[in-house]
Amino acid sequence: MRLEDLTDLQLDTLRELGSIGSGHAATALSQLMGKRVALRNPELKLIPLGDIPGVFGGPEQLVGAVYVRLLGDIEGGMLFLAPRASLLALFDLLHARNPGTTKSFGHEQERLITHVASVLAASYIAAIARMADLNVLPSTPSFVLDMAGAILEVATTQAGIKALSAMLIRTAFYQETTDVDVALFFMPEQDSLEILLGRLGMV
Amino acid sequence: MTSDSDKRLPSDFADANVISIGVGELAVAALPNYLMTPALGSCVGVALYDSLLQQGGLAHIMLPSPTDCARAERLERFATVAVPALAQAMTEIGSARRRLVAKIAGGAAMFQADAALATIGDRNVAEVRKQLRLLRIPIVAEDVGNGHARTVELHLDTGLFIVRSYLYGVKRL
Repeated sequence: MRLEDLTDLQLDTLRELGSIGSGHAATALSQLMGKRVALRNPELKLIPLGDIPGVFGGPEQLVGAVYVRLLGDIEGGMLFLAPRASLLALFDLLHARNPGTTKSFGHEQERLITHVASVLAASYIAAIARMADLNVLPSTPSFVLDMAGAILEVATTQAGIKALSAMLIRTAFYQETTDVDVALFFMPEQDSLEILLGRLGMV
Repeated sequence: MTSDSDKRLPSDFADANVISIGVGELAVAALPNYLMTPALGSCVGVALYDSLLQQGGLAHIMLPSPTDCARAERLERFATVAVPALAQAMTEIGSARRRLVAKIAGGAAMFQADAALATIGDRNVAEVRKQLRLLRIPIVAEDVGNGHARTVELHLDTGLFIVRSYLYGVKRL
């Protein structure tokens, strides 16, 4: 069983997990920031690992990424990815400033973005773990701002070594007038995907 | 007036002589072409150059050896396979092994906070060095380690190895 061989029913179940995850993440981030943080319903699709850099414009595109490894009953990783400009816009949005206010990406930005990405990833991981009744924990998040292709190859070398595709969870943070698109890639190892689907009663 | 040239993508204007090498691939070429591989993270770019015939080869290596991966396919991803294969490909286009020199770049630790991910780059570089030593090909220039991504180009007229990164800009090796 590969990620790309999933039936529509199986994909629907994973989509449901995505929606639950986004809901949890919005609640958690709202509590954390002390104001309402809203997330669009995520769009889920399977994409080949090689296409991931293309999602944000090519392997040399400057992007920020947060990698969280899955620990416990399933192995793999979760990668949060967004272009530098989107991360600055997200920083402004979370501080209720006009987009474009923050112009440079420093430690303060890195800290907040890492935290937000970590909450987002942990919410999806928690949703998956609860529905499948598995013990899955996220590792300490790791941040990097560099070329998309290089980030991807490192993350997939470790996590997606046996997988050919990843599940893209595309969502957006929004306020009245601004939408900031971000992407998460769920990359379970093949054995782990089988465990996961087996637990969800789909094999 | 709209001509066809207005609709062309920026990439259509790119140098027709460039041969771009993807992750886990390798290629050899001669003038007037040149070789490049984008976005090396923990991967290592290995360039071999023959100054007499002005030809060279470039490989984008992902992992040290096939034992690091349960699924042994696309073997050119691995240093133990790709480095000898690249040297062999150079021999096939007429470059004697003793004329070859190597330049390497990459092997970065992109995610410093994750212990397992931080060591892959170093292991890749170590295996590449070992393979080149076995082939008796000297490494004449290198830009390895640290935590940043690199794009490399091998120019075949002079053997110039250009390393680009967001951190350091352009380095000429």
